[in-house]
Amino acid sequence: MSDTAFGFILLGVAMAVVLGIVFAITTRYGARPKPPAGVHLPPPSYLPVVLSVGAAIMGLGLVFKPDDQFANLFLLIPGLVIFIGGCIAWVRAANHEWRDTEHGSHGDGAAH
Amino acid sequence: MATTTLEPQAGAPAYRRSWVLDWLTTVDHKKIGILYIVNGFLFFFAAGILALVVRSELAVPGLQLVDQDTFNQAFTMHGTIMLFLFIIPTLSGFANYIVPLQLGAPDMAFPRINALSFWLLPLGGILIFSGYLFGGAAAEGWTGYAPLTSDRFSPGTGTDLWIIGLALVGTASILGAVNFITTIFKMRAPGMTLFRMPIFVWTVLVTAVLILLATPVLTAGLIALFIDRNYGGSFFDPSVGGNPILWQHIFWFFGHPEVYIVILPAMGVVSEVLPVFSRKPLFGYKAFVFATIGIGLLSFSVWAHHMFTTGAVFLPFFSFMTALIAIPTGIKMFNWLGTLYRGKLMLTTPMLFALGFISMFLIGGISGVMLASPPIDFHVQDTYFVVAHLHYVFFGGSVFGVFAAAYYWFPKMTGRRLNEPLGKVHFWIHFIGFNLAFFPMHQLGLSGMPRRVADYSPDAGWTYLNLASTVGAFMIAVSVIPFLINVVASLINGEPAGDDPWEGNTLEWATTSPPPPYNFDRLPPVHSERPLFFLTHGHGHVAERPDDLEEHSEDDVERRGGAA
Amino acid sequence: MTAGTTEIRPSGEPHLVETHQTGMPTVMVGMLLFIASEVMFFGGLFATYFNARASVAPEPWEPPPGGELDMALAAVLTAILISSSFTMQFGVWAIRRGDAGKLKMWTGITLALGVLFLAGQLYDYSQLGFGIADGVFGTVFYTLTGFHGAHVFGGAVGLTIILARAMQGQFSGRNHIAVEAVSIYWHFVDVVWIAVFSTIYLLR
Repeated sequence: MSDTAFGFILLGVAMAVVLGIVFAITTRYGARPKPPAGVHLPPPSYLPVVLSVGAAIMGLGLVFKPDDQFANLFLLIPGLVIFIGGCIAWVRAANHEWRDTEHGSHGDGAAH
Repeated sequence: MATTTLEPQAGAPAYRRSWVLDWLTTVDHKKIGILYIVNGFLFFFAAGILALVVRSELAVPGLQLVDQDTFNQAFTMHGTIMLFLFIIPTLSGFANYIVPLQLGAPDMAFPRINALSFWLLPLGGILIFSGYLFGGAAAEGWTGYAPLTSDRFSPGTGTDLWIIGLALVGTASILGAVNFITTIFKMRAPGMTLFRMPIFVWTVLVTAVLILLATPVLTAGLIALFIDRNYGGSFFDPSVGGNPILWQHIFWFFGHPEVYIVILPAMGVVSEVLPVFSRKPLFGYKAFVFATIGIGLLSFSVWAHHMFTTGAVFLPFFSFMTALIAIPTGIKMFNWLGTLYRGKLMLTTPMLFALGFISMFLIGGISGVMLASPPIDFHVQDTYFVVAHLHYVFFGGSVFGVFAAAYYWFPKMTGRRLNEPLGKVHFWIHFIGFNLAFFPMHQLGLSGMPRRVADYSPDAGWTYLNLASTVGAFMIAVSVIPFLINVVASLINGEPAGDDPWEGNTLEWATTSPPPPYNFDRLPPVHSERPLFFLTHGHGHVAERPDDLEEHSEDDVERRGGAA
Repeated sequence: MTAGTTEIRPSGEPHLVETHQTGMPTVMVGMLLFIASEVMFFGGLFATYFNARASVAPEPWEPPPGGELDMALAAVLTAILISSSFTMQFGVWAIRRGDAGKLKMWTGITLALGVLFLAGQLYDYSQLGFGIADGVFGTVFYTLTGFHGAHVFGGAVGLTIILARAMQGQFSGRNHIAVEAVSIYWHFVDVVWIAVFSTIYLLR
């Protein structure tokens, strides 16, 4: 591994540690107030992270391709599975929220 | 003192979430905005270190510190990271946090896609940076010209990682643009017509349209380059019928709107800060809006001014259009000067950065108009004159805008005030260091120093200016220290800010600092582009009373009755 | 500057904004904007096509030796895709009338036509006699048609989702915005094909 790579990894780790400390200190806990009626906010979701990771792994599969193949299947296939799985989960979650909304949809019928 | 209180509803459980999970799974535009900003600053530091590598090598003649390949990687990564992973995401982060608040909306139109747009960024950035792990990062300049980027001349993996990483980042931008435009058109508070929106929202809107229309062209170009490199494609290879100039056309058709994407939100920030600290409305709101739209439209017609010297460009048209775009930009300058004129100026740190923006961007704009002229451009193309210009507009413009936004909105986002004296220390070291670093580059370019070179002759007479520039670069680096100390200390123990520490005009100051998850308990009525000003100062200034305020609503009666 | 003691007293009842769904529904706005970005993406690809075509002059613009464009098959594919736009629109009209049964039928037919298009495209690729690495004609041909095909695939995925939701009875005359959104995406895919076909096969 080159010196530059090592340097940046070290820097990245140091920044992450400092960041973690700052975030930990400044996070406040407590009850989460409900929004007033008529406001619809989707719940927290891990799917954006999942889809991003899946897309990144797929990208790596394209980058590290052997010369005679379309892509590096050891990376592309898992990446694709994660990505598509994430998409399916996303659509199902949106569907779920749509059905749970109090009076059906507000006319736009979609939670994103 | 906050008067909008958060009362936990009876029966709502108090819970303790892991803060890691909280931030990883959030779809709240405020948290996502903070993630963008923090992520952006991390990349700022990384790309800043790369800049220090470049400047350290160039301080004196001779290759003392790095070899040419490492140097090339350094300036390539510096440019790519600064533009795609620092400036746009950080301004995007402020937009994400502030735009729904300024509109009186509870969140963005598509909150989960908002989160997706964010998370693609650190992943794209890691991919781009990981070139260092695999034999060397991309080293062909942030503009990635063919045929240098072809597999024949740059066979390493770093360039492929750069392409794919940028594709991810571009996708994130496009999704974000869809989100912003939809939010701005569909989720404004009642009474907020388009021409009562805060100026910052207008600049974000036009920026989003530019992102929406320009970034996909870059994506097409990146895909074409990837196909050339990895699948035997011939887009840019003349030996099989391709055309290297095609890359430049595609890249700059995106690249020029890109620079307006970088500057417009910063102009929006300045246009928010100046009125508040001049105690006057923005001079010529409508002119400013039309100038912004004009810049957006014109930005698609000037791309080939980056290619004057290729011989493949119809010079009169592009020169003319480039000069034309200086006009709406000039109008904005007068908007800002008109706002300051006879205002009651309060020279707080955000105001200093906004004033710094105006003066530094003016210099960058002037050098830009000079570059619009082919006779001048032919002499200074690919010299340090261009490097001076781009840093005066990107750094003197956008980065000053980022810091203005940071100091202005930090109280809103955290509920704490930043320390003013420390902020001023930051500003002055930053300002002096910036000018020391980049002003000499004008002269260096005029006397012929090319850009993207790792070394130069000791007989060229460039040594002293380069040395000065390097000192300035280190000053900029040093100036970051008071800023970081200020941020961390204020987060832990800063003075509480209250709802509206600056006596602002726009809706974000009408809620707590930080706002509750759904932003507003109650919205003030919106009858002008300064709803909060009228709320807190009543309608005493008859001259500024909007024409269409006909009905006397209950709100009006009570406010007039209780006007301070 | 006084410390933050400004008191803000919005008067009146606590009222939070309901996003007023006047005008175009939010999802449609989002879809139209997304389609705008995709138009620009294809614009970039078309730019490479036209630039390549101009650059090879004075050589003729044609497939590499041994390769030949199958005009008849392309015309059939065009007919398939255009019909699928019609069937999609019939489905939209059906659900606007509240007819979920017809929606299912027309969506199913559209999906089948879309899959048929993709199969035909892949068959065409196997018969062409040149590949992406065979000179600039091959490169731009496969890139342009390939990315169009990828977008058809994406549209087919969307069709599958609304078909599944229709079969679960989720759409009504009042609530079917996802159908509207997928339908305009499908029309977009069709329009792009017309442009691709006209450029590659008719204009040449």
